[in-house]
Amino acid sequence: MAITFKKLNHTYSPDMPYSFHALKDIDLEIEEKKITAIIGHTGSGKSTLVQHMNALLLPTSGEVEVAGFSVTADKKPKNLKQLRQKVGLVFQFSEYQLFEETILKDVSFGPKNFGVSEEEAVKRARAALKVVGLDASYEERSPLDLSGGQKRRVAIAGILAMDPEIIVLDEPTAGLDPHGSREMIKLFSALNKEQGKTIILISHDNEIVYRYADNTVILNKGEVSYSGPTKELFENDELVEKFNLVLPQLLELKSQLQKKGFSLKKHYDDLEALVKDVAKEVKR
Amino acid sequence: MNAIEVKNLSYAYDSQKNALQGVSFNVEKGSYTTIIGHNGSGKSTLAKLIVGLLEPKSGEIYIEGLKMEEKNLPQIRNKIGIVFQNPDNQFIGSTVRDDIAFGLENHKVPTSQMDSIIEQYATLVRMQDFLNSEPEHLSGGQKQRVAIAGVLAMKPDIIVFDEATSMLDPAGKEELKRMIRSFHGNEDLTIISITHDIEEACFSDECIVLNEGKIVLEGKPEVVFEKADLMRKIGLDIPFSYYVKNLFKARGIKVHGDTAEEIAEELWQSHSKN
Repeated sequence: MAITFKKLNHTYSPDMPYSFHALKDIDLEIEEKKITAIIGHTGSGKSTLVQHMNALLLPTSGEVEVAGFSVTADKKPKNLKQLRQKVGLVFQFSEYQLFEETILKDVSFGPKNFGVSEEEAVKRARAALKVVGLDASYEERSPLDLSGGQKRRVAIAGILAMDPEIIVLDEPTAGLDPHGSREMIKLFSALNKEQGKTIILISHDNEIVYRYADNTVILNKGEVSYSGPTKELFENDELVEKFNLVLPQLLELKSQLQKKGFSLKKHYDDLEALVKDVAKEVKR
Repeated sequence: MNAIEVKNLSYAYDSQKNALQGVSFNVEKGSYTTIIGHNGSGKSTLAKLIVGLLEPKSGEIYIEGLKMEEKNLPQIRNKIGIVFQNPDNQFIGSTVRDDIAFGLENHKVPTSQMDSIIEQYATLVRMQDFLNSEPEHLSGGQKQRVAIAGVLAMKPDIIVFDEATSMLDPAGKEELKRMIRSFHGNEDLTIISITHDIEEACFSDECIVLNEGKIVLEGKPEVVFEKADLMRKIGLDIPFSYYVKNLFKARGIKVHGDTAEEIAEELWQSHSKN
């Protein structure tokens, strides 16, 4: 397992009148080298959960084991820096966190901060920029001159330059146009397939979740209500109804067609395959 | 009558190639127009030019018949309001009430009338129960609704939404889109929405598609979304229902519906006929 949560609780401002019990008895395993999506309403605890993955937040009780480290309420791991190098966390709207004069400086800040030599940090930054699709002509430009989508790529390159084993992303496609979203998600898919990175992403977009995530975790009011394979979740009518899921459009169309009376297969890889079967029945 | 006339408009930021090149179009009064394009297509630049935040390099803009130029700016700013993308960058007041009051104070609305106006517009955006709430206790969607109330309280002729829904969660997005649609049909209010949400564009009267600073497509949604290949080529998508329509069309079956349910019903009807 890449990450294991054991009876983890998190309460914000525990001794105050406005204390808030954000995570309740979380038992959860996140598989290594897989893409895991975390979904749930605003305020369900998604961001709180992922901030435990690199000890940015400490549990109020319980434990999280991640990449060989154990994080508990009273015990920050000794080598916190090492943990943070292994688990890269990309915040929501990360483009607002760029600060250096040039893109190359911004991306090499991370590895330098973790004690890598200047030369090596620059080398890694260049490689990371290439991975996110920004060529050498960008290196000396100011990050502030880029479009929103490009800025977010720079922020992600900053995390990749630290060469983490686990990459955690809080809504990486929010605010991007359809093309930008597709490119972004293809990037994570490639990092997973080609470099074996464990990817954990918070998403509100069930189209992306259904298509790219191996596993899905549903959080509801601070509790895990589902954790398992994505397809088994979205292709199970009872679960869809139970969790009131917004269906990906392909499944929504399939479900409406079945309600009318078309007899269809359980799983279709894409819209074309579905249309083909329906067209056959219509013409019969 | 046209609420907006744009003639051969161009704009360039320092040292960069043209962000907009020779753009011309008209917006009919009381209509709902979406301007779509990928990030960097020039759509936000266009929004800033229309509301007078940027000055054109060449070309002309007329707002309700008034030419956009220095001497007309104060009058034009009374006619047009804008709601920006980031909910946190446009909340000025310390409470919802203060935030809506800010514009009214600038317009020297008498204090005696202010409370009733604030309540009227807060109710319109369903924020009447939050008048004393502070921004940190509001969701992104709620803050955007307050921004809309603040703009509408100025009684503009034109309201421009500059990617106003793009930073919100799905529930917030849906609510805001429904609200925008509900303003449509009031013939005194012209709505312009700059967006890359193609599902939103389905509900507008007119779509203007921008790419690399130029208009590449213009017309009713059903006309624009028939051009699936062109849309994809410029990095945009078409609504799912149009994918479905186009695929069935290729197999000799015509469907017209916009929702999965409508499409399924049509298909079942033609299945039963055969």
